[in-house]
Amino acid sequence: MQTIFSYIDRDTFVHRLHPVTKLGHVLLTLIIILIPYGPTLESALALSVWLAFSAVLWGIAGISLRQFWSLFKILLATFVFLILIQGFMYRGGEPLLVLGHLPISGGADLGVVTDAGLLFGLLLCVRVLVAVSALPLFISTTTISRVMAALNSMGVPNRFTFMFVSSLSFTNLIFEMWNSIIEAQKLRAFDIESMPLWQRARRAYVPVIVPLILLLFRKGNDLEVALKSRAFGSTHRPTQVEVLEVTWRDHLMVAVMLGVFGLCLWIRLFWK
Amino acid sequence: MNLTISRGEFVAVFGANGAGKSTLCYLLSGMIPNIYGGRRRGRVEVCGIDPWDHPINEIAQRCCMVLQDPEAQLFMPSLEMELAFGPANLGVPREEIMRRVEEALEVVGLKGLNRRNTNALSGGQKQRAALASVLTILPDLLVLDEPTSQLDPLGTKEVLEAIRNVREGHQVSILMTTHKTEEVMGLVDRCMVLKEGRVVALGPPEEVLSQVDLLEEAGVQPPTTARVFSAVSPWLPRGEALRPEADPDRAAGSLRRLLGAGALRLVPREVPESPGADAVGEPILQVQEVTFSYPGTPPVTALKEVSLDIRQGEFVGLIGQNGSGKSTLVKALVGLLRPQRGRILFKGEDLSRLSVGNIATRVGLVLQNPDYQLFSISAEREIAFGLENIGLAPERREERIHEVLEMVGLEHVRETFPFKLSFGDRRKLAVAAVLALGPEVLIMDEPTTAQDYRGRYLLAELAQRLRERDDRTIIMISHDMDLIARYADRLVVMYEGRVLLDGPTREVFREAEALRKTFLAPPTATQLAAGLASEGMPADLLTVDELLARLEKGGH
Repeated sequence: MQTIFSYIDRDTFVHRLHPVTKLGHVLLTLIIILIPYGPTLESALALSVWLAFSAVLWGIAGISLRQFWSLFKILLATFVFLILIQGFMYRGGEPLLVLGHLPISGGADLGVVTDAGLLFGLLLCVRVLVAVSALPLFISTTTISRVMAALNSMGVPNRFTFMFVSSLSFTNLIFEMWNSIIEAQKLRAFDIESMPLWQRARRAYVPVIVPLILLLFRKGNDLEVALKSRAFGSTHRPTQVEVLEVTWRDHLMVAVMLGVFGLCLWIRLFWK
Repeated sequence: MNLTISRGEFVAVFGANGAGKSTLCYLLSGMIPNIYGGRRRGRVEVCGIDPWDHPINEIAQRCCMVLQDPEAQLFMPSLEMELAFGPANLGVPREEIMRRVEEALEVVGLKGLNRRNTNALSGGQKQRAALASVLTILPDLLVLDEPTSQLDPLGTKEVLEAIRNVREGHQVSILMTTHKTEEVMGLVDRCMVLKEGRVVALGPPEEVLSQVDLLEEAGVQPPTTARVFSAVSPWLPRGEALRPEADPDRAAGSLRRLLGAGALRLVPREVPESPGADAVGEPILQVQEVTFSYPGTPPVTALKEVSLDIRQGEFVGLIGQNGSGKSTLVKALVGLLRPQRGRILFKGEDLSRLSVGNIATRVGLVLQNPDYQLFSISAEREIAFGLENIGLAPERREERIHEVLEMVGLEHVRETFPFKLSFGDRRKLAVAAVLALGPEVLIMDEPTTAQDYRGRYLLAELAQRLRERDDRTIIMISHDMDLIARYADRLVVMYEGRVLLDGPTREVFREAEALRKTFLAPPTATQLAAGLASEGMPADLLTVDELLARLEKGGH
């Protein structure tokens, strides 16, 4: 099943970029969202420009809007919560809706929704959206082997990159096992998914976790045999099989990225 | 044990579970003592070095091992990376690695799939990928530990074909442990039979595999042709000897020649009625135009308007290749999957209205691997778990636990920790846990997986007893056609999400052409009988016993 966190096999401009260039996009995104923002139009504009830039990259990478929509749906409840909580809790701004008066320390009134509160809530949502739009773009357009090669090229030891990759495949394995065990226990009239939360916490996970741990020990043992049988840990210097090259695409992308980043900073800091 | 393998030689090792096959593999590949502990007397030398004195990555340059479980051996994101992993660890130059990868992919029949995600491969492809991943190291000795035991017939065929190609292209020696005597007969140079850690036979396959009594005693399934030839050999003229054949057509040819020469004679006997022909029970499970698709882009339709009536007391064999829809159908029968279209009725009651737990008291499913279920401190607690879940009164639980443990023959280990039991006993315990819920229909998913010759009939025998004792209905998924022929009175053949064939076992196995489409073949005894049809042998026999009952000593 295709998810927002799985690789999409295409041959696009974004796919061909050096993974480090794409990691640069993730890094700049992090910087963008960490800049302090107030409930102002320029803050909204700065964030929107970067979000639009990411959306364009999604489009170039051939990631369908449906994927973006899936991401949005996952976060929708968080957004509603953020907007409401900021709407009621934010100090300052003009009242939009008065439900009563419940003043709390610091000057906020829990009974009043303000325009600045709503805008600040909305801005927080956009920040979350900006933050989560960068990583799926990287994962959807970069094969794990290229990620490994990039990490190696950045000086990360081979052992660590392998641990990263094998933990990814083990995560998949754990999910599969987890589902199989839940199904197997359902066949004995033990349905963890339909239990109330307190009951799950009390006893439900033992029949799932015990078989999972025992099976993982066995799989781990098999994996060790398979690894050792293929000379893992040999004293030779491992050969880098995946070749990564910096091309004109990377130069262009870095230039555009820095340009848009600069524009966002200028809007946030100097635009009136 | 004494064993010498020459360069380029292929040796198959047979033996019951626990006979020492895997220990031999671990000793040769250096897993003992590098990963598993133990003590050793005597000397082991693999390509000039003693694995006992060398680190495992040094041994791996000479001897590589492939395990039974393909899932556990593949850990890289793409096939190409998987194959490159070994030589890359040894510092082989990149161009040489890529050349070896291409060559290995071609040898195992996976050419062109370089960039394929290993998770997206079928079982047979995964095992071939595991094989290719060690071929790129260019080892002198390949150790294959039951590489086909978890595969369907198509997967097994693909892997054996790949091994055949490896032999033709490389001067590599191979040691392979397996239970499948028939499938490797035409492939290997020598066979070795182990029993309780000792070599009881070692020699050319036709010599070793014709010793039917010795094989049976060692818990190894003799090839069908060996059983037939061994039974008729006392009737043959002096000096006439038959060697077991991998190819049923050639074996039938030998028998035809003997019939023609008068050394053997056919006994005219009626073919017994299909055991299912008199099954007149009421329908207990009705599958009505069921369609099921797994979500995805695009969705995968695993069942396409499947309709089926299962009658009370029937023993139904459900066969087909992996991906044909068998497992989806079974999951729908127990409520784990809910069909998008169609209905499933149990005694007229629509199962869509019941929870999986409620369905479990009507239709029970025994999974392939009991280790996905067992977690309790003792066998009896394991069974009590299900009874608590269905809310059975505490005073009745003890009686039910005793009853089912006795039924599966595990009363003597009721206080034993389940993981201390053998795999066969763990499977029996899983059956007991399902039976305790009182289902009238019992579904068994591939009861022969990872079992040796004796173990593979254990659960089928148990199912047969349950059917005879309580008139329970049995549905059994299996790739083992001999087992199906022996127990099932009705066969349902699935192909691409539809029911391709459905009828009495004898009639379905007569449809060799249709079965071939699904990469299934009738049991070897049926194929032998078909090969003798021109001599008057009924073509729809199912077992060796039925075949032998129609042969006798001739006049010459």
